[in-house]
Amino acid sequence: MAGNLFRIIKLTKNQPGFLVATTNNVSIALYSGPPPGTPPPQTKTKFGPLADEDRVFTNLYGRHDWRLKGAMKRGDWYKTKEILLKGADWIINEVKTSGLRGRGGAGFPTGMKWSFMNKPGDGRPKYLVVNADEGEPGTCKDREIMRHDPHKLVEGCLIAGRAIGAKAAYIYIRGEFYNEASNMQVAIAEAYQAGFLGKNACGSGYDFDVFMHRGAGAYICGEETALIESIEGKQGKPRLKPPFPADVGVFGCPTTVNNVETIAVSPTICRRSGSWFASFGRTRNSGTKLFNISGHVNTPCTVEEEMSIPLKELIEVHGGGVQGGWDNLLAIIPGGSSTPLIPKKVCEDVLMDFDGLVAAQTSLGTAAIIVMNKQTDIVKAIARLIMFYKHESCGQCTPCREGVAWMNKMIYRFVDGNAKPEEIDMLWEISKQIEGHSICALADGAAWPVQGLIRHFRPELEERMRRFNEQKVRASN
Amino acid sequence: MSYFGIDRIFKVFQTMRSYGGIKASLYKLWRMDSLRPGILVGTDKYGNQYYENKSYFYGRNRWIEYAPKYGFDYDGSQVPAEWFGWLHYKTDLLPSQDPSRPNYKWMADHTENLSGTSEQYVPYSTTKPKIQAWFCKMTFFDGT
Amino acid sequence: MLRTTLAKVLNGAQFSPKNIAVITRAASDQAAKKPEKIEVFIDDIPVKVEPGTTVLQAAAMVGVEIPRFCYHERLAVAGNCRMCLVEVEKSPKPVAACAMPVMKGWRIKTDSELTKKAREGIMEFLLVNHPLDCPICDQGGECDLQDQSMAFGSDRSRFTDIDHSGKRAVEDKDIGPLIKTIMTRCIHCTRCIRFASEVAGVDDLGTTGRGNDMQVGTYVEKMFLSELSGNVIDLCPVGALTSKPYSFTARPWEIRKIDSIDVLDAVGSNIVVSTRTGEVMRIMPRVNEEINEEWLSDKSRFSYDGLKRQRLVTPMLRDSKGELKPVDWEVALLTVAKQLKNAGPSVGAIAGGFADAEVLVAVKDLLNKLGSEALCTEHTFPLDGSGTDLRSSYLLNNKIAGAEEADFVLLIGTNPRLEAPLLNSRLRKGYVHNELEVALIGPKVDLSYKYVHLGDSPSVLEQLVNGQHQISKKLTSAKKPLIIIGSEVLERPDGGAILSAVQKLCAATNPQTENWKVLNVLHKVASQVAALDIGYTPGVDKIRELSPKILLLLGADEGSIDKSDLSKDTFIIYLGHHGDNGAAVADAILPGAAYTEKQATYVNTEGRAQQTLTAVSPPGRAREDWKIIRALSEIIGATLPYDNLNEIRNRLDEVAPHLTRYGTAENANFFKQAEALSKSVKSQIDKTPFDVKLKELQDYFMTDSISRASPTMAKCVQAVIKQKQSKY
Repeated sequence: MAGNLFRIIKLTKNQPGFLVATTNNVSIALYSGPPPGTPPPQTKTKFGPLADEDRVFTNLYGRHDWRLKGAMKRGDWYKTKEILLKGADWIINEVKTSGLRGRGGAGFPTGMKWSFMNKPGDGRPKYLVVNADEGEPGTCKDREIMRHDPHKLVEGCLIAGRAIGAKAAYIYIRGEFYNEASNMQVAIAEAYQAGFLGKNACGSGYDFDVFMHRGAGAYICGEETALIESIEGKQGKPRLKPPFPADVGVFGCPTTVNNVETIAVSPTICRRSGSWFASFGRTRNSGTKLFNISGHVNTPCTVEEEMSIPLKELIEVHGGGVQGGWDNLLAIIPGGSSTPLIPKKVCEDVLMDFDGLVAAQTSLGTAAIIVMNKQTDIVKAIARLIMFYKHESCGQCTPCREGVAWMNKMIYRFVDGNAKPEEIDMLWEISKQIEGHSICALADGAAWPVQGLIRHFRPELEERMRRFNEQKVRASN
Repeated sequence: MSYFGIDRIFKVFQTMRSYGGIKASLYKLWRMDSLRPGILVGTDKYGNQYYENKSYFYGRNRWIEYAPKYGFDYDGSQVPAEWFGWLHYKTDLLPSQDPSRPNYKWMADHTENLSGTSEQYVPYSTTKPKIQAWFCKMTFFDGT
Repeated sequence: MLRTTLAKVLNGAQFSPKNIAVITRAASDQAAKKPEKIEVFIDDIPVKVEPGTTVLQAAAMVGVEIPRFCYHERLAVAGNCRMCLVEVEKSPKPVAACAMPVMKGWRIKTDSELTKKAREGIMEFLLVNHPLDCPICDQGGECDLQDQSMAFGSDRSRFTDIDHSGKRAVEDKDIGPLIKTIMTRCIHCTRCIRFASEVAGVDDLGTTGRGNDMQVGTYVEKMFLSELSGNVIDLCPVGALTSKPYSFTARPWEIRKIDSIDVLDAVGSNIVVSTRTGEVMRIMPRVNEEINEEWLSDKSRFSYDGLKRQRLVTPMLRDSKGELKPVDWEVALLTVAKQLKNAGPSVGAIAGGFADAEVLVAVKDLLNKLGSEALCTEHTFPLDGSGTDLRSSYLLNNKIAGAEEADFVLLIGTNPRLEAPLLNSRLRKGYVHNELEVALIGPKVDLSYKYVHLGDSPSVLEQLVNGQHQISKKLTSAKKPLIIIGSEVLERPDGGAILSAVQKLCAATNPQTENWKVLNVLHKVASQVAALDIGYTPGVDKIRELSPKILLLLGADEGSIDKSDLSKDTFIIYLGHHGDNGAAVADAILPGAAYTEKQATYVNTEGRAQQTLTAVSPPGRAREDWKIIRALSEIIGATLPYDNLNEIRNRLDEVAPHLTRYGTAENANFFKQAEALSKSVKSQIDKTPFDVKLKELQDYFMTDSISRASPTMAKCVQAVIKQKQSKY
């Protein structure tokens, strides 16, 4: 400390000087006005079910040929050249009009993200990175796309790449997705052979390459900067932001990282127009979305549905209802393991979109719905999730490394009830100490389920502790 | 006569005479701070003389005159063990009168307290020296 | 784990973005158009900063210190400890001050409730798994974690889980004889890792495992093979990496710290000598941006235990049997004086590597009074051409700090990594941040960065001088070229020809900056520049010729001269502090003081005068060197006219004024004249390939009488050799 004090006196020459360049962008992100295609005011009141002709992913269940021939029959690669020739601005405008928000969890407007890449270049190449490291427990949408509709993704890469002016796309695929990776590789090879990729892609005069990179299976590599590190061959540990990947991304070049689904829907948006896409769902939550319904439902499934569909309807129509009937429902995790759970009474009328779930103190995340009925040991379920996060924490920054491990220890005691009721408040406080203090969002994702549990199931926790202590007293007598 | 203390004056003269004159008596007074008539009961092998005068009260009636070789450098530790008991009233038997005194060959000779002298005991350090000095181990002369 | 610096990433992409260049010395000097300053508010204090300044730096400008563990201004930003979180108005989350550049109008609150809470939370997390070792931890008392948990931590513990599952325990690693690891204490700030890969250039350290199981280590059990490894001890904010030789010996509050100068190489690193009860406990670096920044090489840091072994603690005289016997000063001085009187002007002196300027000038004055001019240094230097008359031909003219600004460096016959590790770290810094290119003529060695190896043949130098070499173009077109020539190669018989060739080569370059000096000589010992400045003749040839009746060795231990070179009756006096080669051949030994024991002047290879201060008193009867000479002079009857340090410093000032201008490096001039004089050199460079003594790390540790006496250095040599033999 004394040394530090000394150092403070002298102004230092520093490393973070390179951060200068990023400042401009951030200001764009924070202070820009409404995008060009500002969606119309909300008029629609009824959402879903989605008509078959409006589905983007027409081979979600693999009932048709996934290879180039089948894909083309379903409309992929149709007039791709014309789309490319309309230019980057047109594509970005169309995506902005569509109101497409990132499908990877955070829900950042895709059109705006792409437009960051359009500032005058400084000579460095730009890259598109597709995040196919789908590791969130409960989520299984990207793998369906990659194994049954890989050409949608390949074409999406080309169109998104054109929009941001990228030289190449890297698809970072999760190591465990062996079959998906092989299907993707076949699709990429087919696209190259058909002249859709490579030099003069689709005859548009635009050169574009797509590479696949298989990860080694770490949840944290789904974080965009960790993913970039991993592509570069380093340990998958998130980078500090700023600089954002749009300035310094993969190999030090401007990079956009997008989710598979985001990229895969973009060709359809371009073909069927942004306003078509925007006609689904509520304002600012527009489009169709792949929902994964798992847990205690009669027919777990992945289904494409309109945004803003009521959660109850989604489960009743596609999930075949909760096991034991709707009244047997205990809680639902609406957006993959990192989102806070919502109890039954919230589930009744919540709408499945970004804003609707934020209003219910949770988040859409990846729209992976985990349904838990009353046979669930809810504390144990959340404890298992925390264990997952503890295991997947990269260990780089303190709150996540130490805090999540600490939470894990505590919550496993809570499963038995081996704690004092005050410790519930302590756990809450620890989760708050973790949240928002780390480099990446993994720690937030670990803190939220705990917060959801405490918010909605505190009586359950206290009851367990009471029972445990009673048992202890009885045993000692 | 004793009423006027004249006998004491005689005693002084008597004592001085027994010490061998005025000069010797004054020297003794200077050396030992007292002048007492007494009976010489023995001499140890270091030359110390032991006196007794039963007319003094108990505690003052036995004393030692250190050997002249000590000069003014005398102290209590110069009394050897065999005389120590008699001098300190542990026993009334003189060393020569006491048959029960053990006398073994291996008994060490008496040494006086050497503190303050050049032969005093100095404890040595058991810790490693902070600086290890160099000593030349090789000789370079004559090609050896 | 380590994020490479941006510049390196961009190098890999064959791109050099001027707009986002890393701000280095060079960049800041020549920033053509400075971007406008922006105003931010730290705790409502307005401050104008350059764009790109981080919150932490902006706060430092107004004197607000933000706590940190992982941030270190000389290393890349990691931002992983999160201790520096501060609140920024209108930002929902606290931001990491060390990494976040400020934006216009930001209001940063370093003392708000949110900030305090964030710090307290992080502190708690850091302590969850940190052992309660403080009472037995060597870092105790100078531990960042301890201090900051006092200042920013919670006042009570909530670690109820300790009762259920305990704290994390991590196995200790063995990374060599210098660094002790107690990995349970590690807080994963990764400073050591970043230091190893950025500054030391050795990717030995890294992290394994993830999450709570993450460990800092070497992947496989191996030694941390670096000449700068000791610096991670200073960098470690906790007691995870501590000094092995210093372990459990002293506490920081019991030691006295004395600022001093290192003399184990010619760099003259600034050090702090920590002493307790009259004993040197450890040596640590002191910040000096011009020389060592805040690093210190391992030999300088750890060979202090050599100061306690093999010491000359009492005067000695060789008796009739040829054995050295301890004697009193009186006897020794009288004997020596008698010999000197008998010898008359037939006296010579050789100055070794540790001789300070005071004793050098005292000996020179004494011998001159006796009528002798045979004053030599142990390390030779060519006398042809301008020789040592012009300072420019024997100094590291462009200064150590200047090395990192260079854009092209040609190393000739030197291995700076081992001869001057801190100069090498500057070169590496330039290589990493400033796109410096390095070429080397000499044996192929590992410099910790990439360089072009031009071979070890002197013919390469000739080709370069003629402009025929493929690299010639680069040298002439470079804006800031630097030629660093090792002193060792100039010790060759053809050194004069080499130096003159190099001077020609320097004249052929076109530096674009004013006052840019191309010619740089890298010395290996601390005394050489001062000795040459005072007027000593380099090399011992003169002594060999004269074969004086009395030879005074001023700590000359490298065996440059031995008995066979002298006549049989030469009386050798050794004045020094270690019993080594010199003392073994001496007829009289006068024990002097080592560099920690005297206030003395040393001039480093750039010509910078610096002074050591007395940290401990000389052992036994040893005395300060110049005082011995002064006493001797009085007995001989040629009393030297100085009685105290001030007076001898005045004398130094008379001889060469720069010797007492402490801290500043006196520039050398007359480059043109030196170059012109060098043309008079007619001798030819011979065909022997250039060689350096220090090639590998194991050669580095024991090079002089202090490090040869050091058990720690001996252990290092053993460990390095063992490591090199191991399959990892």
